[in-house]
Amino acid sequence: MLKTLKSAERLFLLIKKQFPFNVSSVSKGKIFYEMQRFISDDPESWLNAISIWKNLLELDAKKKKLSQGDANPLKRKMGENDSIIAKKLKAEQMQENRECQLEKQIEEETLERGDFLTEREKCQEELQNDVAKAGDTHDQNDLTFRVSCRCGGAIAKTLSAQEAGRIIGIALMKQFGWKADLRNPNLEIFIHLNDIYSVMGIPVFRVPLASRAYIRTAGLRSTIAWAMASVAEIKAGAFVLDPMCGLGTILLEAAKEWPDVYYVGADVSDSQLLGACDNLKAAGLTGKIELLKVSVIELPLPSESVDIIISDIPFGKKFKLGKDIKSILQEMERVLHVGGTIVLLLSEDHRRRLKDCEGSSFPLNSKGSHSDEPGAEKCLILEGKTGISETVSSSFEANHQECLHKMPPFGSLVPVECYKVSLGKTDAFIHKYKKSSSSGL
Amino acid sequence: MKLLTHNLLSSHVRGVGPRGFPLRLEATEVRVIPVEFNPDFVARMIPKVEWAALLEAADHLHLAEVPKGPTQGYEQDETFLRKMHHVLLEVEVVEGTLQCPESGRVFPITRGIPNMLLNEEETET
Repeated sequence: MLKTLKSAERLFLLIKKQFPFNVSSVSKGKIFYEMQRFISDDPESWLNAISIWKNLLELDAKKKKLSQGDANPLKRKMGENDSIIAKKLKAEQMQENRECQLEKQIEEETLERGDFLTEREKCQEELQNDVAKAGDTHDQNDLTFRVSCRCGGAIAKTLSAQEAGRIIGIALMKQFGWKADLRNPNLEIFIHLNDIYSVMGIPVFRVPLASRAYIRTAGLRSTIAWAMASVAEIKAGAFVLDPMCGLGTILLEAAKEWPDVYYVGADVSDSQLLGACDNLKAAGLTGKIELLKVSVIELPLPSESVDIIISDIPFGKKFKLGKDIKSILQEMERVLHVGGTIVLLLSEDHRRRLKDCEGSSFPLNSKGSHSDEPGAEKCLILEGKTGISETVSSSFEANHQECLHKMPPFGSLVPVECYKVSLGKTDAFIHKYKKSSSSGL
Repeated sequence: MKLLTHNLLSSHVRGVGPRGFPLRLEATEVRVIPVEFNPDFVARMIPKVEWAALLEAADHLHLAEVPKGPTQGYEQDETFLRKMHHVLLEVEVVEGTLQCPESGRVFPITRGIPNMLLNEEETET
């Protein structure tokens, strides 16, 4: 069931979370000592997390035997046992869910679109092996483990990730008698130390959720692709176009989630189309997605024939964007139905260029202010249901509003929503536009 | 390329405008690929179909049993929907050509993918 979380990267069971290390004036030895205290001060949280982890493994094995219809009682059971915390590398939001809130969160993940876009790190996995192993290691002493550590910010200057990992590893061996196994451990411990927090957790799944079984070669990150598709409000019977589809990641994610839809992908590059074809075959979706070799600024489609356009506009690092963003948007606007939706992934650069060009004719200022409201509403809903801490939520809201405020309408395309997302090394923006009728109503 | 797609494609050679539809279909290799029948989806596509274009294309592919138009109450007519499902979604043109009716420009279809890129002189400004 956790595997249905599509816009999240990895999922961890939290062992410990506390304030970042103060490294300014302490010696390395002192830091090592502090880290050991993570474990020696509070072995309970560690053991607690381990037992939850084991429960999850057993539950998953049981679930695989039960039919789908019995999902609900299991959900509740998980809710009682767990405090699962979703964590994000860029730390824009921290969410704590306890007990029944977990249920809510999971339903939200699958039902609400785009609210968890800035949330990262949840996992998806095959647990069969782990169950067998966990079953064998009823005695905690037989557990094999490995520590993965990531250091950032000030502490990274004093301590390398390996050193940190080693310290924790040794402390764990001392405290619990576990054995280290770097190749194929039962249990993996993840440690993130940076300027914002010090966190320790156990990944729920071995493989990140973001790596999908049905995508052979991913172009765009699958989590972002899914998020874009869900923001687009795809309804059954719609005609969805990705005019710069590349390897087809967005269409694949969309077709898996919303199957009763007509999908068309287009690209100018033969190699990309070949890759897309390959992906479609591997996913078994050749019947659902059509491919065309056409240019985005010259779409061989009648005007107003497309319901939804979703696209990742090439950022210019990997691919050369031969045409400018204005002509791209103009052609997209032409083929879109009135009332249709466009969802684009834009770089900071693209946004700047769009801000500079006002598109055609009327300014639609009144429309501009109305469009702020759905954005703000979305912020508030997010806050209420998931209990983001005060300080963080206000910055998220501010970010969101800012995102939207600066974007002008493009011709009859009215900006409706905007989300800042992280692509790992760079940031990008998901922009949603709706086509209003040309009378400017 | 499926016939549902052909039904939407229109030539965008300079100056052609709406007379660029429909594209004349010729096929040298056609495959029938089974696709899971989803009556709701097919029913939703029916109102979007340009029937004359579809019938012409189906004719060029020598397809039999192609409905001439939507029947009364087609949404519940499974026989009709199954036929349409087959015609629109299961017939794949793997190799062939699409020709613009106005300008005569020919677009190739290779490995099931139509190539409709125009060169500089042909595009609209």
